[in-house]
Amino acid sequence: MSTSTSRPPQVYRRGTWARITEGLRYGGGIGQWSWLLHRVTGLGILVFLIIHIIDTFLVVAYPELYDHTVAIYGGSITGLPTSWSMNGYYWPLRWAFRIGELGLIACVLFHSLNGVRVVMVDFWPRASLHQRVMFNWVLGIFVAIMIPVSIWVLLPLRHAPEMHSRVITSASM
Amino acid sequence: MAYSGIGRKVRPNGGFELAWWFFMRISGLMLVFLALGHLTITHLINSVENINYAFVASRWADPQSGWIWRLWDLTMINLAVLHGFNGLRQILWEQILSPSKRVIASTIIWGLAAVLIIGGSYSILLFQENREYIQKWKAEREAARFAQSARHIQ
Amino acid sequence: MSTAALASDMRTLKVKIKRYNPELDEAPHWEEYTTEADPLDRVLDVIQKVKWYQDETLALRRSCAHGVCGSDAMRINGVNALACKILVRNVKGDTLTLEPILGLPVIKDLIVDMKPFFDHYKSVMPFLINDEPAPTTERLQSPADRARFDETTKCILCACCTTACPPFWSDNKYVGPAAIVNAHRFIFDSRDRGAQERLDILNDAEGVWRCRTVFNCTSACPRDIKVTQAISEVKRALLGGSIEMDRDPLQIIEA
Ligand code: SF4
Ligand code: SF4
Ligand code: FES
Repeated sequence: MSTSTSRPPQVYRRGTWARITEGLRYGGGIGQWSWLLHRVTGLGILVFLIIHIIDTFLVVAYPELYDHTVAIYGGSITGLPTSWSMNGYYWPLRWAFRIGELGLIACVLFHSLNGVRVVMVDFWPRASLHQRVMFNWVLGIFVAIMIPVSIWVLLPLRHAPEMHSRVITSASM
Repeated sequence: MAYSGIGRKVRPNGGFELAWWFFMRISGLMLVFLALGHLTITHLINSVENINYAFVASRWADPQSGWIWRLWDLTMINLAVLHGFNGLRQILWEQILSPSKRVIASTIIWGLAAVLIIGGSYSILLFQENREYIQKWKAEREAARFAQSARHIQ
Repeated sequence: MSTAALASDMRTLKVKIKRYNPELDEAPHWEEYTTEADPLDRVLDVIQKVKWYQDETLALRRSCAHGVCGSDAMRINGVNALACKILVRNVKGDTLTLEPILGLPVIKDLIVDMKPFFDHYKSVMPFLINDEPAPTTERLQSPADRARFDETTKCILCACCTTACPPFWSDNKYVGPAAIVNAHRFIFDSRDRGAQERLDILNDAEGVWRCRTVFNCTSACPRDIKVTQAISEVKRALLGGSIEMDRDPLQIIEA
């Protein structure tokens, strides 16, 4: 056995890190994962919401800055060396925003569907007996909606946008 | 039948956490329609690449239907901010246990929420169409179209 | 079956145990043992085999060995269970992982400090409250009224549920599912008069409203109590200001 000096007995209290890692290893199954996803998607939506309220504020305050901002969402940006792109259009930027947009739709959709499931468990006494089935429904509906939506959102990426006129607008800023 | 028919009454409890819990369910259900509807209109029927000042103005400043969009966005923003920040509070409450730190955290949370609600409601309610800017934007778009087709012809 | 046939069923199990020596260790560490186990052995038997023949310093709590006393709750292959209620036959794979339950301080090896758990239990006043003059015989109750809270009388206070609950892992002020189950047992008892007080206690950020309907508690309960459902019933009683004595309104409509 170890030769180190013993000390008065101490209890072990888990720190934050140990709580998180040991908690994630808990085999809680569907309930636990849906809870975690609900949280993560909720936080993601909240971050987006804050950004979105701020950019909408620009509509009232600075219309030109607003158009400049939404142009970035479409992949167009001004102020960078023109040699970097065709006319201020950057496809990686556009791809990133499109995929981000899809992520946002996925977050909102999952949070909504799972939220409805939670509300049903809370208000309908018998729902808690069927929670596994209900979670399968949540997943099923989620996938059924997300497949066409993904195609629809990503399809325009095949071509460069028809026009990047806003670049010119913002150039006059 | 395992039902005695006896329901004992207790004083309705009410209270802060109960009210919030109830609010989360109700606002959540409303947001399912408001937020998913908003996403469908802006991201699926339209596209982020077409949305700009002129689009927003055409909705909010429409003499007939403008108030519907404004009411929709106003309800959505207020419910979403309250729902989101209360959710954040619930998460933080599990991590922050000391009462004094909770007071600090709620001050930050509700301060931020108030700023967003005031700012958001201000944009929605006091928005006025800037015709001049839209005219300028349309003219520039025409010019750009022209320049682009000119480039194609070359 | 012959003894030979039984013997051939013996499995070699790798037993991984999270050990903590309160006089030496800063944090728990894993230790591994290898042992033979009969498929019909309980996990508790395997642990005792390790303790008796390989490492007598291993510490655990157990008493009845029949799922009655609730003292040997631990994390078995990732989920909370009573070691005396899980058979080796039902252990998937060749490794048996044993850890103390989460959310409570570890005293030694698989033993945790249950005091916070029992403090929460006591906070909901888990005893009959009735100031009305006692009748000369028992306080009578119809079979239907007895059936209303039958399920929550089955709790053995093993803490499997409370220490499976994610909100409880980080927030040990949360009363936890076990305390709510035991409050439910009295709130819905037609002989009890303390429902209001108990509901007032549970109507708190650290009461029923901390529950996020994760269902970990329900799947962990060795007594098959539908814990989350019991919690929902308490929530509904708080919301509606009345204690529905019927278990399930829909069943009545269908009946
Ligand atoms: S249902 Fe509630 S009490 Fe049970 S594990 Fe989930 S959060 Fe905890
Ligand atoms: S409700 Fe079940 S899991 Fe929780 S303490 Fe009681 S018996 Fe154990
Ligand atoms: S030892 Fe008593 S319940 Fe397992």
